[in-house]
Amino acid sequence: MVAPGDGKKLREGVAMVEYELHLLHNYLIVGALLFGIGTIGFLARRNMIVMFLCVEMMLQGVSLSLVAWGRYHGNWGGQVLVIFILAVAACEAGIALAMFLMLYRRSGNLDMIFWQSLREENQSETVDVEIPEPDEADHQWPILTPAGIEPDHDTEKPLHRSHV
Amino acid sequence: MSDNQTLFAAATVLGALGLWQMLPRARSGIGRVVGPLASLVSLGLFGYLAPRLMLDLNQSDTSMIAGQVIFWLLAAVTVISAAAAVTMRSPVYSAIWFALTLLGSAALLMFQGAQFLAVATIVVYAGAILVTFLFVLMLAQPEGQSHYDRVCWEPLLSACTGAVLIGILTLAMHTSFTGGDVPVVASTAAESSDILTTDHMARLGAELFGRHLIAVEVAGTLLMVALVGAIAITAHGRTGRRKETAGGRRDG
Amino acid sequence: MSDSVRTLLILIPGLPLLSAVVTALLGRRVLRHWSHLPTILALGASCAMSLMLLLEVRQPAPDDSTSGSVRFAQVEPLWTWIDVKDAFELNGQSRDFTVEVALRADSLTSVMLVMVTFISTLVAIYAAGYMRGDDGYGRFFAYISLFVFSMTMLVSVSNFVLLYVFWEAVGACSYLLIGFWFQKPSAAAAGKKAFLVNRIGDFGFAIALFLIWTTYGSLDFHGPDGIFGDKLLSGEAAYVGGGVGLAICLLLMVGACGKSAQFPLHVWLPDAMEGPTPVSALIHAATMVTAGVYMVTRCSPLFFASAADPYVVGYGLDAVAISAPMVVAGIGAFTALLAGLIALTQNDLKRVLAYSTVSQLGYMFLSLGTGSLIGITAGMFHLFTHAFFKALLFLGSGSVMHSMGHVIDMRRFGGLRKIMPYTHWTFLVGCLALAGVFPLAGFFSKDAILIEVFVQGHSHSPTAAYYQVLYCVGIVAALLTAFYTFRAFFMTFYGPLRVPAEAGDHAHESPMSMVAPLCILSVFAATVGLLLSSSFGQFLVQTPSLAYVAGQEAAHATGSHHDHHHAHQLVATTSTLVALLGIGLAAFLHLGNRSQAQWLATRWWSAWFYRLSYGKFFFDEIYIVLIVWPLRLVAGFSYLIDRYLIDGIVNLCGAIPPMIGSRLRSTQRGIVQYYAFASIFVLMFFLVAALYFNDFVN
Repeated sequence: MVAPGDGKKLREGVAMVEYELHLLHNYLIVGALLFGIGTIGFLARRNMIVMFLCVEMMLQGVSLSLVAWGRYHGNWGGQVLVIFILAVAACEAGIALAMFLMLYRRSGNLDMIFWQSLREENQSETVDVEIPEPDEADHQWPILTPAGIEPDHDTEKPLHRSHV
Repeated sequence: MSDNQTLFAAATVLGALGLWQMLPRARSGIGRVVGPLASLVSLGLFGYLAPRLMLDLNQSDTSMIAGQVIFWLLAAVTVISAAAAVTMRSPVYSAIWFALTLLGSAALLMFQGAQFLAVATIVVYAGAILVTFLFVLMLAQPEGQSHYDRVCWEPLLSACTGAVLIGILTLAMHTSFTGGDVPVVASTAAESSDILTTDHMARLGAELFGRHLIAVEVAGTLLMVALVGAIAITAHGRTGRRKETAGGRRDG
Repeated sequence: MSDSVRTLLILIPGLPLLSAVVTALLGRRVLRHWSHLPTILALGASCAMSLMLLLEVRQPAPDDSTSGSVRFAQVEPLWTWIDVKDAFELNGQSRDFTVEVALRADSLTSVMLVMVTFISTLVAIYAAGYMRGDDGYGRFFAYISLFVFSMTMLVSVSNFVLLYVFWEAVGACSYLLIGFWFQKPSAAAAGKKAFLVNRIGDFGFAIALFLIWTTYGSLDFHGPDGIFGDKLLSGEAAYVGGGVGLAICLLLMVGACGKSAQFPLHVWLPDAMEGPTPVSALIHAATMVTAGVYMVTRCSPLFFASAADPYVVGYGLDAVAISAPMVVAGIGAFTALLAGLIALTQNDLKRVLAYSTVSQLGYMFLSLGTGSLIGITAGMFHLFTHAFFKALLFLGSGSVMHSMGHVIDMRRFGGLRKIMPYTHWTFLVGCLALAGVFPLAGFFSKDAILIEVFVQGHSHSPTAAYYQVLYCVGIVAALLTAFYTFRAFFMTFYGPLRVPAEAGDHAHESPMSMVAPLCILSVFAATVGLLLSSSFGQFLVQTPSLAYVAGQEAAHATGSHHDHHHAHQLVATTSTLVALLGIGLAAFLHLGNRSQAQWLATRWWSAWFYRLSYGKFFFDEIYIVLIVWPLRLVAGFSYLIDRYLIDGIVNLCGAIPPMIGSRLRSTQRGIVQYYAFASIFVLMFFLVAALYFNDFVN
């Protein structure tokens, strides 16, 4: 039985359904974009920290998708899973950073290129063919206020610590 | 392929092109301009596609429109800062941009009604994890950046892989959505949802500690194990000699 | 009565088998130089039991004799080996392929058993002295026992398939024993040659068996459907003649040629002298080589059927009727002559005796080839006597070899009668018996053969001329036999005393364990002809198959019995004259100054003959060129194919994984991002697959 006010409500109901659907769709696209960008970053970068950063970005994209599904289905499943993902990501970050410190200790920097001993016997080592020079813009020291005293920029003194 | 799908593909390709040029490498003069330009165009295309999936603007009420606009702004912020985080040449800048991504993502989560998660993202991710990243960066790379931050492994291949991945994912979604495969759940009316309530936190707590109690306890144990493990890893390595030079792979 | 026969039949081969197993297991560790004991005991017991069996067979129970001739055959089945129902359809009736292990007691079997076990016992006693101190002492006696088991089973079984099995078994034992001193390359090669040449004969034998099966539908000797069973022997069913019958008999003859060293498969027997002398005495004089003769005798109804219905080649006046006995006689006579010619010039004492064996076996086949019952029994009688004197001669030569330090070249020793009296006198008895001098054994048996051939040559059958020629060949062969036998005798035992250096302090008479068998055998060689010549044939004809032949002959007789007396005297005088002539020639050329033989050998008109005879008519060389070289070529070609083609393909297949691996290996560079690439590619592949799968399904 259709009541006179039902038409608007029905249209509203249909509109709500479509709204939810499109919301879900959009969130999934955003999640996919985050995931994809994270993948590109992970595959391209050499700094261990930045690599891990991209992994976290991938996780974030997944979290967005999960929450979107949870909202769509109207239950807690998505959010609960994301909470656990969060917890696990935190553990993983801790251990990963501990390992990065160990690796830094052994190689003196955070470059992934030093850790290729799993390669096959007759493969040659991947080495840097050319090391790009830093841009002028990258070596900009921060501009301090007149009150601050700029410290010495002695380029001969080694800047990195020998140990952590 | 339909129009929408073509546009999706074009947007993805342009975005990949832009990212490729923006990735840290020896850039040519053209690349410095083309990269960000292509990415912006791609984002614009994505944005253009968005309203076509919207409802007829005349029919919806203003709250919905406002909601859509806010959503796309937040999404733009998130994606732009994600792209920036990936392509920065200084890892510290990457971390900062990632913090912005997390903020955007938290806002998006809030928009979905996941209030606790939004705050948790900021507190745990941006507050704890990211700060730890910065700690390690400062300890290991005091000058902020190094030569290996200015090179990539395989920029073209990575960009293509990412593009294809995004393309497949979005295509899959689009096909199944417009093909009417997704079952319309009648209970998706927002009012009848469990999540969109005023005592959201209490309900979330009840759900966690009620239905997923054991998982929560296990997660807690996992956290403690990770703590112990992290300390064990770093403590173990301190017994060796210090290695001054880079490239050593023996016992340090 | 049947129980005792059954027990005897089982024990006669069973005891040697038991002693073979015992000696094989215990000989090396436990028995050592007493290894001869189980064998000699077992063989002695077997011999005694064979005599008891002979007595049992001689006196059949009254209820077993049928009207007319006396026939006795008792078959004791032991167990069924193969049983395939409805294996073959013959004349619309389906036949089962059943092979039952059944042992048979009839006069032919018992005669063979007595001979085999008696000679084996004496040879075993002799070997205990001859082989003393040898490394493989236990192994030797195990092989001897095994051989005697195989031979006794061969003559006792009542089925063609089992006959074939033990035919092969004696061949295998012969191989083992010829190559007994296998470290010597010539001995190993001789064993191999013997086995391979035997194999050729066995191949013919096997095809004969196939033909018999398809023609008669049975491979048993006994039973209603047996080849020598009730239906065929009583005339209810007919033996097949014509082409098929000829084929069967000729193929059986091929087998017999292989085993009994007839032309063209005679080449293995002289080489087989590489084995120890007791082996030569036992196997290559008395027992194994007689298996062929035994088999042809056993199958005499088949040969008779071929003679009754010969195979006609050609048409009209040019038609030639070939019957199997004719071929057998031809082969036998030819071999007798050939071997005699070769033996004239050999310098190796054992070789001379080997060729003499071949020649005498040729005589036996000549006799079997006359196609009459008297011929068959004469052949068997010659086999019987030949066993005694040939074994005696071989053992005597072994005695000579033993004391000459294993030197057997007659040119290197001489005048041994002074230091080896026993050997000398027993050897003389053997030589006289071989030459066929009255009243020793050889005379009676050889005489009987020649008489029968002569009678056949003067009968009114269309083949008379053929047999006349064979008779002349036989006489010439007798002359040659006497000559080369006494040549060897005079060269060895007469003349100035010469002892080769290898003899050392061995040059004296052999120990009693070796001399005693010599004496016993010489007694038998001297007397057995005289004593048994008349009763042998009568006893032998009690075998059902031979009785059948007698009956058929009587039915188709052309009545030439009265010729026998006349022929008897003529042939007897001829052969004695010929023998004495041979002895005289040998004495003339070899007793005094030896230069007469040398002179003869170097004359231009006889040197070619000398070389031909000394080179064994170059049969070995011909076979090498015709058979061995082509086979070697084929083998080499096969080797090339195997090594390069087949192994090449296998290696190619084996090389593919490393090739693929080396290509794939370049992706493992140890860099994490590349591994991540790989996993993302696979992820994308699965995503695409899922998408398209859904598209297909939907």
